[in-house]
Amino acid sequence: MEQGLVVTQLDIQPGECIKVKGKILSDAKGFAVNVGKDSSNLMLHFNPRFDCHGDVNTIVCNSKEDGAWGEEDRKADFPFQHGDKIEICISFNELEATVKLPEVEFQFPNRLGMEKIEYLAVEGDFKVKAIKFH
Amino acid sequence: MAERFEIFNLNMKAGDTLKIKGKISEDADNFSINLGSSSSDLAFHFNPRFNESVIVCNSKCSKAWQSEHRDHHLCFSKGSSVKFTIEMREDKFQVKLPDGHEVEFPNRHSYSKISYMSVKGGFRVTSFKLD
Repeated sequence: MEQGLVVTQLDIQPGECIKVKGKILSDAKGFAVNVGKDSSNLMLHFNPRFDCHGDVNTIVCNSKEDGAWGEEDRKADFPFQHGDKIEICISFNELEATVKLPEVEFQFPNRLGMEKIEYLAVEGDFKVKAIKFH
Repeated sequence: MAERFEIFNLNMKAGDTLKIKGKISEDADNFSINLGSSSSDLAFHFNPRFNESVIVCNSKCSKAWQSEHRDHHLCFSKGSSVKFTIEMREDKFQVKLPDGHEVEFPNRHSYSKISYMSVKGGFRVTSFKLD
């Protein structure tokens, strides 16, 4: 996936939230929102796939430690459509990360036990319009 | 000044407007918002200084600062939450300050695209938006 917006040297604490607003491209194959320490150490790789890597309409979540992917976690819901304008809200605590969308939310374990988020990156067919921290 | 945060692959073009909201820390001497292609090459360095009561603007080429512009209209204070609007045009950058006053700075190096942004010093960004 093509690398999109990257934000570094953040200081997001447990209970705080990162809101990413943007638009899913009309011909999107997939996109991902990554949060963690840096590009090699991710608390959460949140990767909705419309049609890529053999997956159709599936959300794949994973973590990455020292550059090595963990075990994939696939979600049953797929609340995304091509061309949608969406707002994704990511927060975390010592146990898990939570991704909130208007009608559904997903959890993923905080496998690396991260205590803050310093890195945010967006990849693939998603155009970021705004980012909020609070 | 400590690096507050950096954004890569921003993709801001002439005609785009960047809205930045944040909070100036109580003990800020100054802060800066920097736009360019990397930390060494900046099209626009926007640097309010509380100790001198001035806004300094400049550009940077291959790590070398160019000549400064100084504007003595400093209409915000330490500890306050503020919103800036930075409009990028082919010939200049135009910043709208919280009280409506505008600061202009020429697009000296004819940037057509800004891919890098950083914030340094006593300013914590709470949101940014690209229109």
